[in-house]
Amino acid sequence: MDAPASENQTPSKNPGEKEDWYSLAMRYSKYYAGKVEVIPKVPVSGLRDFSYWYTPGVAAVSMAISKNKELAYELTGKWNTIAIVGDGSRVLGLGNIGGEGALPVLEGKALIFKYLGGVNAIPLPLSTQEPQRIQDTVSALEAGFGGVNLEDIESPKCFEVLHYLQDTMNIPVWHDDQQGTAGVALAALINSLKLTGRKLGDSEVVLFGAGAANIATARLLITAGADPKKIMLVDTKGILEAEREDMDQLMLHHKWKYELALKTNGSRRKGSLEEALIGADVLIAASKPGPGTIKKEWVSKMNRDAIVFAEANPTPEIWPWELKEAGVRIIATGRSDFPNQVNNSLVFPAVFRGALDSRSRGISDTMVVAASTELALCAEEKGLADDYILPTMDEWEAYPRVAARVASKAKEEGLARRGQSYSDYLEQAKEIIANSRRTISSCISSGSISPLPS
Amino acid sequence: MSEQRQKVSITRAKTEDIKSISELVIRLKKLNEEFDPLLKVREDALGRAQEDYRECVENPECVVLVAKKGDKVVGVVKAKTRERVYYQPRIEGAIVDFYVMPEYRRQKLGEQMIAEVISQLKRKGAGIIVAEFPFQNKIASTFYQKLGFRPVIGIFGKPD
Repeated sequence: MDAPASENQTPSKNPGEKEDWYSLAMRYSKYYAGKVEVIPKVPVSGLRDFSYWYTPGVAAVSMAISKNKELAYELTGKWNTIAIVGDGSRVLGLGNIGGEGALPVLEGKALIFKYLGGVNAIPLPLSTQEPQRIQDTVSALEAGFGGVNLEDIESPKCFEVLHYLQDTMNIPVWHDDQQGTAGVALAALINSLKLTGRKLGDSEVVLFGAGAANIATARLLITAGADPKKIMLVDTKGILEAEREDMDQLMLHHKWKYELALKTNGSRRKGSLEEALIGADVLIAASKPGPGTIKKEWVSKMNRDAIVFAEANPTPEIWPWELKEAGVRIIATGRSDFPNQVNNSLVFPAVFRGALDSRSRGISDTMVVAASTELALCAEEKGLADDYILPTMDEWEAYPRVAARVASKAKEEGLARRGQSYSDYLEQAKEIIANSRRTISSCISSGSISPLPS
Repeated sequence: MSEQRQKVSITRAKTEDIKSISELVIRLKKLNEEFDPLLKVREDALGRAQEDYRECVENPECVVLVAKKGDKVVGVVKAKTRERVYYQPRIEGAIVDFYVMPEYRRQKLGEQMIAEVISQLKRKGAGIIVAEFPFQNKIASTFYQKLGFRPVIGIFGKPD
């Protein structure tokens, strides 16, 4: 998979090569002018066909749906179509670059959705960054979409927007920078703990960076069984704790971080990351690009057989070889050129495949835990090793398996509009994903998708 | 949480509590600052809080209660009685500072502290109880309204 637009896809530690990816992306984007387009999926050989695809025949379909809105899932493409909505307020490591600036990323995401999950995803960058308008706009999309993927919305606004939409909409709403990143980190952690003989509930976990990714990771770890008192979040002001001086500011402006401050850090440790790492088993960093953001000396204070995920892009907070030198046993980064890539793309296509196949009304945290557990199991069945804790993106069989597990969980929780057995969900997901990849291949071989320009 | 509640006691503040109380009062004033730039906290505020509270603990018209878990001060309320020159009842008890540390909130501790301070103010002759807080502080507004308070007098500020 060499889609340059994936957020966790950074080509190389060699800056010269990175420039090559940049220039290729510019050249190809100019050549194709858009990565996705809408093409018919029904036969049209003449104008007569429009008498049933469109008027007058379509009126019967519209009338039927107007009497029973759930029929939109049976008679239109709603069941397999999602919106990818972003306001461009926090795009990759680029900051606030606006809706138009976010569009190439959203298009890339749509491509990954189709290629890995068989999901029709429509990029919808917004011309507003105001939370209320974002909420109103997304709420109004429910008629036509089976789900919504929020993308590149800054923290803490993203928590408020996601929470509101999950609460009020009857389709799954997901913020990939929160749940996708947290989901893949949990999967990686499950296997890292197995390799080092630890249990999640007993492990001392430090989360460095308290933005969208790590706040969601903390919440997901707690849902999965981590002891909140053994979790420490560290941000630019140091270790988060219930008596920190900025607690009242957090209460007013960042209630999610405030709640975690009350729940976590049972030992009441104060100070910097260096203090937090003394005696820690796990470090999950989603902070700012390194190298040098995290120092080797700090990491060396962690427990034996330590686990470190340095997720910042394009450069991890600390180089993997420095972590090795510091005695860390299991190392993961966001990059494909190092072992153990912690990449959201392992999660979001499958989660939506499962949510759509079950026609779920939402995506709960426990559905995400189910996705992470299944993803971890896919790697475990192949044989875990310190440098193999997650499937790679080309291990196709993982996607339908994760999808089916998510769909089954939706059914179990009463969120599914369409309840099936695990094996039926699995077959359905396999077929849709295989069909999607076949369609793309046949478009390429028939020339309707042009080859890359030389 | 209930264990935590049982261990917290509400008592009259003593001179030895003043250092801890002042730190809580500065948290309160910094919280107020969040609501309005006209409430920007002075650099010498901590020292002033210590002086003010030292005076208040000695003053019979003043009530300072602390919530303590063991020796640790986790909440403070300061109130005083004052004369209403034109209105009746003639004496009001005014709650002027009130702060509970974040992790001791949502456990009814604040309500208990207010109930206790009201009863002490009444013993000092107060016929009406008032509470002062920044106009924009909706949390305080909701809290007091739940306890039966209603808006009586507003103070508006105008920057230069």
